[in-house]
Amino acid sequence: MAPTAGLGFKPIHFEEALAAPAAGLWFEVHPENYMIEGGPRLAMLEALRSARPLSLHGVGLSLAGAQTPDRAHLLRLKRLNDRFEPFLLSEHLAWSRSEDRYFPDLLPFPRTTEALLRIGRNIDTTQTLLGRQILIENPSLYVALYGHEWSETDFLRQLVKRTGCRLLIDVNNIVVSANNLGFDPYSYVDALPFDAIGEIHLAGHRADPGQGDSLLIDSHDAPVSEGVWALYDYLIALAGPIPTLIERDGNLPEFAELMRERDRADAMLRTPRRMAACA
Amino acid sequence: MRCCARRGEWLPVPDLATFQLAFASAIPRRTRRGAFERQPGFAVYRNTAATALIDSLRGAYPVTAEIIGDDGFDALALVFARVHPPASPVLLDYGAGFASFLAAQPWTSELPYLAGVAELERLATEAHLAADAPALAIGDFAGLGMNGLMALRLPLHPAARFTWLRNPAMTIWLAHRAPGGFEELAPDWRAEGGLITRPVDAVAACLIAAPAHRLLSGLRLGESVGQAARAVADIYPETDFPDLFAFLVNRGAFAKPPSLERI
Repeated sequence: MAPTAGLGFKPIHFEEALAAPAAGLWFEVHPENYMIEGGPRLAMLEALRSARPLSLHGVGLSLAGAQTPDRAHLLRLKRLNDRFEPFLLSEHLAWSRSEDRYFPDLLPFPRTTEALLRIGRNIDTTQTLLGRQILIENPSLYVALYGHEWSETDFLRQLVKRTGCRLLIDVNNIVVSANNLGFDPYSYVDALPFDAIGEIHLAGHRADPGQGDSLLIDSHDAPVSEGVWALYDYLIALAGPIPTLIERDGNLPEFAELMRERDRADAMLRTPRRMAACA
Repeated sequence: MRCCARRGEWLPVPDLATFQLAFASAIPRRTRRGAFERQPGFAVYRNTAATALIDSLRGAYPVTAEIIGDDGFDALALVFARVHPPASPVLLDYGAGFASFLAAQPWTSELPYLAGVAELERLATEAHLAADAPALAIGDFAGLGMNGLMALRLPLHPAARFTWLRNPAMTIWLAHRAPGGFEELAPDWRAEGGLITRPVDAVAACLIAAPAHRLLSGLRLGESVGQAARAVADIYPETDFPDLFAFLVNRGAFAKPPSLERI
């Protein structure tokens, strides 16, 4: 089936999400928000899943950490994966656990060969336990770390090669990181392994209130910016159509407004492109 | 050890575990002096982590936040989050222990019901997230006869929670939750109980008196219905037991025990 566009699901939009007639519409949720014993929340996801394809986008595995993934958390993820049979399951190239403490955030690390080997092992462990391939998402970065031995795109390419995972490319994260760290977002896209991309994320960002445009925050609380749409257009011209998600977490507008962004991405996926057709 | 050149200096590149410890310990500190903190972008990590925990506590304790006021609540939530960082990435369940944290704050002696309200909000969260199970209905034990019913040991429903409070925290919490709000609240200053259940798909809460609390406590400890009924009759002789029992069954307080499946 041709790749289509989906929408991050918010419980307050449940009725409209269930009734939406759009062809090819799918939804994505954070599995951590459904790692519970039972009750109305899980029942709602069950109803959504019976109407539409579902993607699980994890935030809690801390794959880019030195510790092996928390087994209890992996088992909770496996339970949801087995029950809801998502067509995509993704996680971040970031860490959130240090010793026994969790940070509700996606934290950076120096891309060394040592980190590459550890993260590769963590992805292996995850894919083995889940019995499926996962997608790894490029992060939003806010500080320049020293000690990198790999570029981010080469690091992602290596993870794909070593573990057989695929990639979730967040176009907004590229724009945010490129702005904050001073690199060219188009060159970053040129260097991606296109065949390995299994999903694309589009989201909104905003300027830091204190620092202004020199520091962009991946806030997910605004419409997708025109700069992100342009880079998305460039990416799918090179890589071909790929399932694309509109993410919105804060400052939630009406469901119809989110659907307009989703429909814009969906229409772009259906636009015939010479480069993709020749590939 | 591998090194890298930076401004002509040779600085060690830490291994991933060491890097994480250094980065993690810089997040709660408020200085701008460390290696990471010098960059303005580091504040984004600090704010994101703090905001996520404050938002999650605010979502879990909305009435407590209403009573304290948003600014005060956020400041308290930040202190709680520093002392009790999450031990799991599942934030829906974050915030256990917030009631006892509040009770330990000296200023809450002026708001003696506050910790009770927070305890009730935590019980409501637990009820919301608890496992599904068929609730016991009146018809389920119709065929047992009185002796059969009295011999029965009844499991509480997985979503049922109850507590006994030394002040009218339940009345105050219920008033804040009421859809229309409340004009003025002047509760009788006495102890009371709260029962929280999930009878159909939503969490429901009601006041309970001492006999109901004694009955639920006894059944939770494994007493038979008969044992609990005799205890209630001894301590609270004016109680209409069949009426009380039917009330609790209808609230969804009990799960249907496996022994009743065969009847």
